[in-house]
Amino acid sequence: MSARDAIFAAIGADAHPAATAAALLARVPGLRPDRVGNDAVESFLARLTGPSVAATAARVASLAEVPAAVRDYLRVRGLGPRIALQPAAALRALDWAGLETHGGIAVDEAASVCLAAYAVAETGSLVFRSGADMPVLFAFLPMHHIVVVEAAGVVAWLEDCAAREAGRPAPRNLILVTGPSGTTDIEGVLVRGAHGPGHLHVILAGAGAGVAESS
Amino acid sequence: MTAAFTARTEQAIGDRTLKLAIDRTTGTARAKRAAAVADWPGFEQARELGRDIKDHVIAHLGHYLAEFERNAIASGAKVHWARTAEEACDITIRLCRSAGARSVTRAKSMLGEEIGLPHALAAAGIERVETDLAEHVVQLAGDRPSHIVWPALHKTREQVREMFAREHADPGPLDSVEAMVGSARRQLRMKFMAADVGISGANFLVADSGAVCTVTNEGNAELTTTPPRVHIVTAGIEKLVPSMAHATVLLRLLVRSATGAELTQYTTFHCGPKRPGDADGPDEFHIVLVDNGRTRMLREGLAEMLRCLRCGACLNHCVVYRQIGGHAYGGTYPGPMGAVLTPLLDGLPATQDLPRACTLNGQCAEVCPVKIPLPKLLRGWRDRSWREGLPPRTEVFGIGVWRFVAARPALYRLATRLALRSMRLFARGGWIRSMPFARGWTAHRDFPGPARRSFMEQIRGRGR
Repeated sequence: MSARDAIFAAIGADAHPAATAAALLARVPGLRPDRVGNDAVESFLARLTGPSVAATAARVASLAEVPAAVRDYLRVRGLGPRIALQPAAALRALDWAGLETHGGIAVDEAASVCLAAYAVAETGSLVFRSGADMPVLFAFLPMHHIVVVEAAGVVAWLEDCAAREAGRPAPRNLILVTGPSGTTDIEGVLVRGAHGPGHLHVILAGAGAGVAESS
Repeated sequence: MTAAFTARTEQAIGDRTLKLAIDRTTGTARAKRAAAVADWPGFEQARELGRDIKDHVIAHLGHYLAEFERNAIASGAKVHWARTAEEACDITIRLCRSAGARSVTRAKSMLGEEIGLPHALAAAGIERVETDLAEHVVQLAGDRPSHIVWPALHKTREQVREMFAREHADPGPLDSVEAMVGSARRQLRMKFMAADVGISGANFLVADSGAVCTVTNEGNAELTTTPPRVHIVTAGIEKLVPSMAHATVLLRLLVRSATGAELTQYTTFHCGPKRPGDADGPDEFHIVLVDNGRTRMLREGLAEMLRCLRCGACLNHCVVYRQIGGHAYGGTYPGPMGAVLTPLLDGLPATQDLPRACTLNGQCAEVCPVKIPLPKLLRGWRDRSWREGLPPRTEVFGIGVWRFVAARPALYRLATRLALRSMRLFARGGWIRSMPFARGWTAHRDFPGPARRSFMEQIRGRGR
């Protein structure tokens, strides 16, 4: 008997439970933590920049203003003008005058600029879908991770991620980034920049839908 | 208690540095968890839902395993099955060898520890690079993890500084914890990029997509699983959830219970290998599904333990763990959850002390995010060890004597009267400082002097 057959034989047969699985999820909306007010974008920014997630954020009216916001961030932090720019069409189309962009990512990259697919208000998370235009290492190798997200792409709850992904081909990696990398492994002391970015800066572009989605 | 367990606990209790280290980390963890729970009025309902989701999956494990396997294969993953720890290690080593692996990076996984993967890799002559900071510390020290969330909890910053200064290529001044983390970052950076294989565990296996969810705060999982040509996941079959939406319910519970945060910094769903056109990622994605006693837990009354999310809250709140730390337990998993799992994994005769070294105060069950009745399961092991005749002969004899007396009321009343009278001879100011046959207690603390008359005498005295 193969290991697979032995394991299935040890478990025994069971009936199809689809209805029960769905019924369990019906209980979710009533017990979620109260994190999302009337405005998903405001809730997102509050969580993102709160003490727990500890990212920084700036707002701009549209994507066209993103390069200026990136320049501001680099200048304030005393960083050079060199950035790894995620090969996403929406970012490549912008005018990066005054910055040295490149399409690769070095192991000791100072800063990268990425475009999040969407964001989650409940937890202040940014969602990335890996692909030809989203190399995973852009979110992990740089010391400063600068993330552009469109306000219209802020969803309310973690369950909304599942709803957005349903029916789409799954990327190799679906990544929820919630703050800069950190560790408490030495005596419980929190230190940022363990292996991933030590700093997470979000540039929120455009106006949000205003009212939180419900699901 | 066996001599080996007594020796380990005595050594741990005598180690003041260890006590300090345990207090620092578990104290912070308890405070942060308490704050996160207080900030979530629906927590109790969420625990019930978490319990029900896990129970649902456990009741339909065959259905969800088959669904997961089907979807994982459709995503391009290769699925392997292992009945035992040995089979799981053999499969993993074979995959590493066929990838021509000289160097393997590993993101912390308790299942990897459980099946002895670090040892198997060493025996196969493959360089193993632990990438979780705490596991890196444990590896440099040639040590074992002492906590399932903070494996290096037993090390102080001074000890870490000394090791990093000795072992790191470019340690720098190491004058702060920040500097130590920076040194580890530099040390491991090139290792991530040079590895041939990356091995991770799984926090959840998502049945309806075939995806594997990992959670880390450091970002080491993605750096382990992206650059190498091969990604291997080793996971217990109980990690299944029906869908990503079910996983989010458990994520809220897991992260708050573990660290008090609302979500880990990096929560990633890994689904299959690199797609055509993808900018990075492994060419091969293997998932090794491991039983190693889990189907036996279903049959032997331990199905509730399969709910465990490995959050570590029961360790942080356990009065025994906080005195003796993780190593004294002698198994992969310490604390209350370890005292339930280790007898199953390592056999009850050698580990019967673990379920007995418990006050049954119930703290673990109160904080468990999926409501595992840990004290009940620990009592189950005690019952079983009694039925199998495992306790020491002196204890079996003593309880036999007590039973003989207790079953004869007149004799019992006489015996208690005599015991009270004789114990009072040793009491001074209401406390007994020492007494024959009681040194095990009085060596460390006083025993309260008994009442003048037994309970039965007092009842009779009132004319009832």
